[in-house]
Amino acid sequence: MTAWRFPDDGAIVSVENLEVNGRLGLIGPNGAGKTSLLRLMAGISAPTPLGTVSYLPQHPYIFRGSVGKNLSLGLGAEETNHAVQLVLAFGLEKEMLAEPATQLSGGERQRVFLARALARRSDVLLLDEPLTAIAASDRPQMLSVVAESLGGRDVVVVAHDRDELIMLTDRLVVLLDGQVRQQGPIGEVLASPIDLDVAKLLGVSNVSSGLVVADDHGLLKVEVGGATIFGMGDVGVGEPCRVVFAAEAVTVFAGSAEDGGSARNRWPARIVSIAARGRLVEIVADAGFPVTALLTPGSAEAMDLESGAAIQLGIKAVAITVVPG
Amino acid sequence: MTFLGEVMAEAWRALIDFGPELRSVVVLTLIVSGLSTVMGCTIGIPLGAGVALGRFRGKALARVLIGVGMGLPPVLVGLVLLTLFWRTGPFGALGLTFTPTAMVIAQMALAIPVAAGFTMGAIQDLPVAALEQMAVMKLGAVRTAMLALGEIRAGLVAAVVAAFGRVIAEVGAVLVVGGNILGETRVLTTLIVQESRQGRFGFAFAAGAVLLLISMVANIALDRFKPS
Repeated sequence: MTAWRFPDDGAIVSVENLEVNGRLGLIGPNGAGKTSLLRLMAGISAPTPLGTVSYLPQHPYIFRGSVGKNLSLGLGAEETNHAVQLVLAFGLEKEMLAEPATQLSGGERQRVFLARALARRSDVLLLDEPLTAIAASDRPQMLSVVAESLGGRDVVVVAHDRDELIMLTDRLVVLLDGQVRQQGPIGEVLASPIDLDVAKLLGVSNVSSGLVVADDHGLLKVEVGGATIFGMGDVGVGEPCRVVFAAEAVTVFAGSAEDGGSARNRWPARIVSIAARGRLVEIVADAGFPVTALLTPGSAEAMDLESGAAIQLGIKAVAITVVPG
Repeated sequence: MTFLGEVMAEAWRALIDFGPELRSVVVLTLIVSGLSTVMGCTIGIPLGAGVALGRFRGKALARVLIGVGMGLPPVLVGLVLLTLFWRTGPFGALGLTFTPTAMVIAQMALAIPVAAGFTMGAIQDLPVAALEQMAVMKLGAVRTAMLALGEIRAGLVAAVVAAFGRVIAEVGAVLVVGGNILGETRVLTTLIVQESRQGRFGFAFAAGAVLLLISMVANIALDRFKPS
């Protein structure tokens, strides 16, 4: 197991037991140490144990000369061809390769540097916010090109965008104050944030205040705005708490009729709003407390949902975290 | 006419006349200082890049030595070389005492640390991101150095200008190793020393004017290589 420490006393980053293996996403607030950790992995702060590394820094330096020179910097002939293909797939015009690199816009630069990092053969690929400078409208297409180009090597991606992390990584590491707060398969971490800090960071939309009324071996019964919610946590009976759950974990049933299913939580609700959010549909509903749910466009259409409609919301108790508050 | 007026008039006459004595001195000055600048930069610029970019033991010491070299007293360099080249010294067999070759070597020794120091400083002033990226890309020493030198064109021009300025203006080293022999090793600076000692101020001023002119032309020429 590898430990990562920077500086030597670990004041900025102190991470134990973080194995770079497979595709790893790194998320954390500003100043959490994500970039410092990536620089450790890249071998900038100290020699890296990771073998050959291809590293896309957050703010790459543009060397004097043409776009083509910058694109091929440090690459062999085959790698250069690959980089050119990638940068064209990212939407750059071929003629631009001959132009001075300093004339590129922020987004164009990012395309060049990303293509170079992807094309470089290495044991490990490290990407620090690879798509931050890219316009939102161009992201989905670029993201699929990037995802195809990762290959079989180990990858570490720092990103704030959930779509980016879901597309590019399998495991998610949540970094807070230079330490790993939570890590695991990305679906699990997104669905069950370990605490409120992580929940906020991951953009989990459902956080409501309530009161713990019963505790059955960690299965807590919580009163929230007149409704009853079952969730998992370690808060004493009679104490105030907050229930936290991911919008993806909520199931929506059309109409008000009861039917089967293992979800312990089943709330009648009314739709407040429906809107497209990225590739998904976001539904905000009132169940006595606000609930945000994310659905695929297909299922939203199949249920013929509209604003004001009566629905049922379901969610497993294990997908709800109850934290003190 | 006043004393100052006479001096200036004499200087003017010498410049207009530009006789064989002044001519030969100007030509030798250009050859000696030009060659020593070119050779000094050829060695000093890669040296500075190596010290700035390399990771090796004694790097801090190398930087200090370059700094000391930039401020080396020319007359001391002359003394050391004269001792080495002396007829009975370790390199006496080469017969270099009081020759233009010895003068070129002496001025080269003065130019190398100046060129190295300016190059080293310019590379160290590059953004940290540039230095880190070069380190991560593992391009190899020569390609890394070429890449870095390409980024500091203004710094390179400054290095050449400073090296040339150092050698064209110095008198101590060429005087000691060259001996200021008329028609053989006399250059503009040693001529000024000689003439002013003998009270021929006008001729000395004429030499000084030519020296300034050379320096100005060299600076204007080199400035064209700076990136706009």
